[in-house]
Amino acid sequence: MTVTEVAPAAVTASSEPPAATPATSGPAAVLGSGDHKVVGRLWIVAALAHLLLAGVAALLVAAERIDLSGVDIVGDDWVGPLFAYRSIAGAFLFLLPLTIGVATAIVPLQVGSPTLAFPRAASAAAWAYLLGGGLVIASFAIGGGPFGTDRDGVRLFVVAFALVLVAQVVAWICIATTVISLRVPGLSLVRTPLFSWSALVAGTVWVLVLPVLAAVTVLAYLDIRYGGGGGFFGGGQDALYARIAWAFGTPAVYAFAIPALGLIGSILPVFAQTRHQQHRVAQGLIGAFGALSVGAWALPGYGADAYAWLYGGPWVVVSFAIVLPLLGLLGLWALTVAKGKVVLGSPLLFALAAAVMLLVGVLAGAVQAIEPLETLVDGDGATSLYGTTWSSSVAGYVVLAAAIALLGALAYWAPKLLGRTLPEAGARITALVLLAGTVLWAFPELIAGLMGQPASPLPDPTDNVSTIEALNIATLIGGVLLAVGAVGFVALFVTASRRGELPGDDPWNGHTLEWATSSPPPAGNFASLPEITSEAPLYDARHRSEEAPV
Amino acid sequence: MSAAVTVSPLITAPPAPVRRPRVLLVAAAFGAVASGLVVLTMLGAYLQVRGDRLADGVPALPEGVVLPLTPGNMGLLTLAMSVITVAWLVHSLRHDDRTHAYLALGLTILLGVAFLNVTAYLYQQMAMPFTMTGTSGLLYAVTGAHLVMVFVALVFLVVMGFQALGGQLTGRDAESMSAAALYWYVTVAVYVAVWYGVYITK
Repeated sequence: MTVTEVAPAAVTASSEPPAATPATSGPAAVLGSGDHKVVGRLWIVAALAHLLLAGVAALLVAAERIDLSGVDIVGDDWVGPLFAYRSIAGAFLFLLPLTIGVATAIVPLQVGSPTLAFPRAASAAAWAYLLGGGLVIASFAIGGGPFGTDRDGVRLFVVAFALVLVAQVVAWICIATTVISLRVPGLSLVRTPLFSWSALVAGTVWVLVLPVLAAVTVLAYLDIRYGGGGGFFGGGQDALYARIAWAFGTPAVYAFAIPALGLIGSILPVFAQTRHQQHRVAQGLIGAFGALSVGAWALPGYGADAYAWLYGGPWVVVSFAIVLPLLGLLGLWALTVAKGKVVLGSPLLFALAAAVMLLVGVLAGAVQAIEPLETLVDGDGATSLYGTTWSSSVAGYVVLAAAIALLGALAYWAPKLLGRTLPEAGARITALVLLAGTVLWAFPELIAGLMGQPASPLPDPTDNVSTIEALNIATLIGGVLLAVGAVGFVALFVTASRRGELPGDDPWNGHTLEWATSSPPPAGNFASLPEITSEAPLYDARHRSEEAPV
Repeated sequence: MSAAVTVSPLITAPPAPVRRPRVLLVAAAFGAVASGLVVLTMLGAYLQVRGDRLADGVPALPEGVVLPLTPGNMGLLTLAMSVITVAWLVHSLRHDDRTHAYLALGLTILLGVAFLNVTAYLYQQMAMPFTMTGTSGLLYAVTGAHLVMVFVALVFLVVMGFQALGGQLTGRDAESMSAAALYWYVTVAVYVAVWYGVYITK
């Protein structure tokens, strides 16, 4: 076995109890740790911090849109960078890192592994993300980033963003490799729990997409550095946002939601107190959703017609076809609920909210792909829905659905992540506030898009201005609700980590292997494991023990 | 946080020992795909920009710059030969044949360095300025990104090779060398696309 395959803090599962807590504590335990739970928490905490910063930027941009006659709140130079920052930070500094953090912490537990594959690489990726994320913020602060005015700041942004992307590729490789290679014997790929399965699908998709984004970013750097602002794609730093924004467009944006499908599929059966119906079919549907969300082909080209794929056959087919696996999964989840006896815990509320929002987003994405549909702008101003706030609303629904699902995952797996549970009432209220905020944030954007509001930093609609401004007020109220929900959740998470209720090892009566160890799990994760004969070994064991003669 | 280890009452058996099958091989496959996609994306950009320029009647390369075919062909031939030596290396390690493994590793390093050398020679022969206003910068980006990939593959092979020859890998677990070989094969496959796109269809 090579040196690189040995986990620093890992112990091979054996009949002997694993070592208890590492000897080090405090910052040293985080800085030097290769324990996947520590690394996962690092991603999660940093991602939540970025959520708060991105939220402030999103609120400022939304407030700026209340009056479309000019820039009232932030300076002219700041509208564009703030607009870019809220999207880029929301997606690549908050949502994707939060997904990676949850997957890093939970996937090895779910697949019965004592460690993550390549724990040192995973740790290095986390630190690289922290560094890159900090530099991204610094670049915006000095006037860089897309729409930035400071050339050095723009260059710093491109380099920092590329570093973030590389870190995320490495992290996804570690996660996907864990699912493929480190499953405990008996846990075949078709028995892999849905969250771990969705992490594998998402990891594969992001390994196909992020390098393309990284390459485009490197080219953008060369263009800005050596092209004098009018390089080979003729736009220099002004065109930088378009080089990145395709990742928030259909179909690439759907990749953010892949783990949400697995999360819902993991949480729902536990709270329905039955096994997930047609687990293998669900795996296939998540795989199909993932395959359709590989969006690396739908990026602006470098030729004369940069958007030749827009409203082309493949783009339209994918926009519609991706609805089918989601509908299939919703059907399976309805069947699971019908077969079981639902307990309405807070993680389930998050999961249900995420499922509904995702459905709306995917349906809106399909509607957007109907080319004859135009904005309700009088005369020649009518355009297709793509490029209006309808598009950004689709991204908003999908991204926020994924975020809600992930916050639900934090509530669900808090015993494993923190060794504590979140206050149930507070978590339920947060879920409802986030659901209301998402609806109020994204739905008015859909309508404003239909009325012709462009999805640009400072839109200048030609028609329906007063109606659009009223809709933008509703969006801002939604943003405030989302901010309240996000801040509330972070506060719950932080206070729970200190003063939360001590859970048992398995407070939810979970079905999968992460609940077969203590909360929080020790280094090495497992003292012993149950017999694995299905995708829900603890559910099986519980029912076997209930059926066994006394 | 309490970390007392408790055992669920549902547990019926001690865990089976966790094997680590194909960990490095799987990661190398993902890494190779990711690296290859970086180069191929740049190649796609280069081809689009070049196609547009040619369609407009503008020369793809700056005036006076000629893209010689011979170094590109030599590069392909070199990498093609290295595929054989890498396969030989993996085969030798699987059969604990250290003499052949030494020879195959040495030849692979030689061919890898020869490829880096032939690309450097190509750059020297072209004498093309680096600018992003045409395709020249993109051409350097494509070939340079591939050079980085070759360098990474070479380091991967050398590290795994010396681990094996140092006695850390035996024929039974030569999987790490297979992982390095897989990365090398993908690197060569990517070069075939670069060779065709850059040198043949110029």
